[in-house]
Amino acid sequence: MAELLQLIISGTAQGMIYALIAFGYNITFSTSRTINFSLGNLLMVGGVVGFILYMDKATGQPLGRTIWLPIVAVLIVNSLLGLLVYKTSVEPSLKRNSEYSWVLATLAFGLIVRNLVEQLWSTNDYRFSSPLGDSPVRIAGVGVYPQELLIIGVSVFIVFAVELFRRKTIFGKAVSAVSEDKQTAALMGINQNFVLQFSFMLSTAIAGIAGILVAPITFVSASMGLTLGIKAYAVAIIGGLESGYGMLVGGLLLGLSETFTARYLSTGYKDTPGFILLIIVILFMPSGLFGKKVIKKV
Amino acid sequence: MSATALNRLKPLFFVLLLLPMAIPFIGLNDYYVHGLFCRILVYTIFVASLDLVVGYIGDISIGHAGLFAFGAYSIAILTGPPVLNTEGSLTFLPQIPFLLAMVVGIVLAALAGLVLGFPSLRASGPYLAVTTIAFGLIINTILTEQETLTNATKGIHVGPITVGDFAFSGQKFVWIAYPAMLLVMWIMHNFGRSFWGRAFEAIKFSSIAAEASGVRRNYFKIAAFVISAAIAGFAGALFAQLDQYVAPGTFGMDFSVLALMALIFGGLRSNLGNFVGMALVVVLPDSVPAFADYRLTVFGILLLLALFFLPTGIAGLLKSIWYKFVGAPDHSAQRAELDEVASSMSGVPFKSVKSDGADVLSLNQATMKFGGLTAVNGLELKIKPGQIHGLMGPNGSGKSTTVNLITGVYIPTSGGVQIFGQDARKMKTYTRAKNGVGRTFQNLQLFGDMTVLDNVMVGLHLSFKSPLWKVMLGLPSVWIEERELRVRAYRLLQFVNMSHLAFSKANSLAYGQARRLEIARALAVNPSLLLLDEPAAGLTGGEIGEFNEIIRNIKKEGIAILLIEHHMDMLMEVSEEITVLDFGKKIASGAPATVQANPAVVKAYLGTDAVTADAASAAGAPKSVANSSEPPDGGTKGGL
Repeated sequence: MAELLQLIISGTAQGMIYALIAFGYNITFSTSRTINFSLGNLLMVGGVVGFILYMDKATGQPLGRTIWLPIVAVLIVNSLLGLLVYKTSVEPSLKRNSEYSWVLATLAFGLIVRNLVEQLWSTNDYRFSSPLGDSPVRIAGVGVYPQELLIIGVSVFIVFAVELFRRKTIFGKAVSAVSEDKQTAALMGINQNFVLQFSFMLSTAIAGIAGILVAPITFVSASMGLTLGIKAYAVAIIGGLESGYGMLVGGLLLGLSETFTARYLSTGYKDTPGFILLIIVILFMPSGLFGKKVIKKV
Repeated sequence: MSATALNRLKPLFFVLLLLPMAIPFIGLNDYYVHGLFCRILVYTIFVASLDLVVGYIGDISIGHAGLFAFGAYSIAILTGPPVLNTEGSLTFLPQIPFLLAMVVGIVLAALAGLVLGFPSLRASGPYLAVTTIAFGLIINTILTEQETLTNATKGIHVGPITVGDFAFSGQKFVWIAYPAMLLVMWIMHNFGRSFWGRAFEAIKFSSIAAEASGVRRNYFKIAAFVISAAIAGFAGALFAQLDQYVAPGTFGMDFSVLALMALIFGGLRSNLGNFVGMALVVVLPDSVPAFADYRLTVFGILLLLALFFLPTGIAGLLKSIWYKFVGAPDHSAQRAELDEVASSMSGVPFKSVKSDGADVLSLNQATMKFGGLTAVNGLELKIKPGQIHGLMGPNGSGKSTTVNLITGVYIPTSGGVQIFGQDARKMKTYTRAKNGVGRTFQNLQLFGDMTVLDNVMVGLHLSFKSPLWKVMLGLPSVWIEERELRVRAYRLLQFVNMSHLAFSKANSLAYGQARRLEIARALAVNPSLLLLDEPAAGLTGGEIGEFNEIIRNIKKEGIAILLIEHHMDMLMEVSEEITVLDFGKKIASGAPATVQANPAVVKAYLGTDAVTADAASAAGAPKSVANSSEPPDGGTKGGL
């Protein structure tokens, strides 16, 4: 029973990381109808920048600074990168009205980021100490890592906060208006370009925070974002790209399926059930579990 | 340099094509010949396979490395000698001949392509991209985890292909890889110029117009994935021979992305582009050693530049330089030949219809609901053979929904649709085309990147009978068929006065021209019933006159026409019977004059009870003004 509970908590923590990145996909998809394939690598930038400011690379020990410094730095760096990816990869594709160039452009952006981090920083894996300590605490006989609880708490908070912002504030409504109909939104005086830029900056900032959050339960390395980004993408599709809360459910499904497959079947195959679920969802519910059905007009 | 001079140089081109076969005799460094040249050859085949999906069908695949792996591992497992593979847990090494193992690899890859193809029917864009990624990752996981079958990360060693005592190892591998690449390029070349290639491109631009032309979208999409996968498997089989070693690391997502990059660098739908693009990706990091560590950054930047500044890739750039140098392709010879053959023929270039007197179309209490909205409500509509039947109604009255019911885009919620006496409620769009329903589209649905002539050739799709294997090998019978039908397409263009634009791109046409091209394409399916969905929208008065003339000429051949229009005066002039819709219901039907005088019709159009026939005829005027301000918006959907 204790083991089961432990599995559920680590599966949920893992799933919430996916959900956060997937939420980033959701934010930019709703405004631009594109997927930012570099988001996984921008998560990595969050982890790496956090590491540089919080940990000592040579000794592997914390520098003893407050965790807020890296958090603020990551928010700034990642927002700027979000603007950069929008300007270099997404905006030109949207202007050209070409259906797939953003796929390749954002993939290319991610490759560049990863390659530069590898060459300028390091190709090795590093431990990142959790500010809450790295030893499990006992809660009702179950050993739980405080970082896992932090991940769950912060992720759910971010998703709810942004969703509330989207639904309740005038700016949030402007974002929804742009996603519904760009031209009409522009006629209503909404600065469409600003909304697009902001959505990219917000999504990459969230990915950066996800990078710091996940670092203590994995390692920090230039390649840490690759699989996270892909799995989060799967989560986004399973949950329904259009639905913010769908990301939480999708993340939960994938995170739990992973920890349980790793524990009871085989570590090597832990990713497979999630991907099979993805293909099934695409075949039978193309707009995801919580997506809106689109009626095609001819 | 003139075109004829270039033709004289053709034999020289074939000699040049053979030259690389001599490379192993020159005594170049092994690394250049085997490590670089042969690698480029094999990878080019892989890029070509990807081109079929990305360039022709317009779908994206980031999982092709998984298909490549099927070919490579089939060769490795089935031909790998046990002496070289003593370390791992793989013991099943049957050592069958290379060719047999290659066939197995190609068949397995094709089956995997079938699986990969199905999601492409339901999903596109970001949804399909993620499916292909997942597909590639699942295959890679299996390669890493199924140790008893694949030796996992230890990999499998493979021996060279031998014929008797002769081994195709080292530089001699050119003799396998180069002809293999030429074969694949030949197949791709033939595809691109056949009705298969046109069907692929038609689906990419507008699957609904492709279906209306008789192209079975699902069949051709799946076929593209299967053929692409088979070619990828072939490339994989050669790869196992190239490296004489396979391990899971090669077949990851990075390889799929790299191939995509090579494809975009080089340019889509171009053999030359596939080769040049891959050559750059393979050679670049080696030629500038300082780049080696930063090669992904360099690729990334190059890809961004290519995407936004060189949308047709290097091949496109070379082509435009070539055109500047020797002049753009000249179609005058081809046109003169078409003109000559066409002038020797008489009669119309489509099938005349002999009527048996039965209704060609009947809607019985047809109803279509979308949620709470009833778009069409209990509609009764019958079209007699050879009749021009007008369908009119204000905006939102259900005209388009009616058209979609007749063409099979929607299945009616209740009621019946009968076409040529057959129940057509659930009949697929392409089957309707096959049975003789042709249509044009309110929002123009031309295949923008194709020539005007090729657009009509897509309409003739059902007239092509050549089997796939003949098309792939480019046999003479295929070319004869192509030439015959090209003449028919040209005559169809003459029928709508468009033959002078036969070799222009469809997206360069003016609005009225585009509308006439749609009619030619619809006539190409040999219809007995032709649906014209607001054909006069956006036309000038003179063009409308020309249009009426074309419509009457079509009617002369016994073809029934359903004309959906806003233009009251045009409808009154050509129709024999008119049905008027309002709020999804039929409010009047009968001869033009009766309908014109009907108070309900006047009310629907003017919103008053002022009942005079004059008012009704005047109602056409404001409508037509509103229509001509509609922007032409067809054929703008682009590929990469």
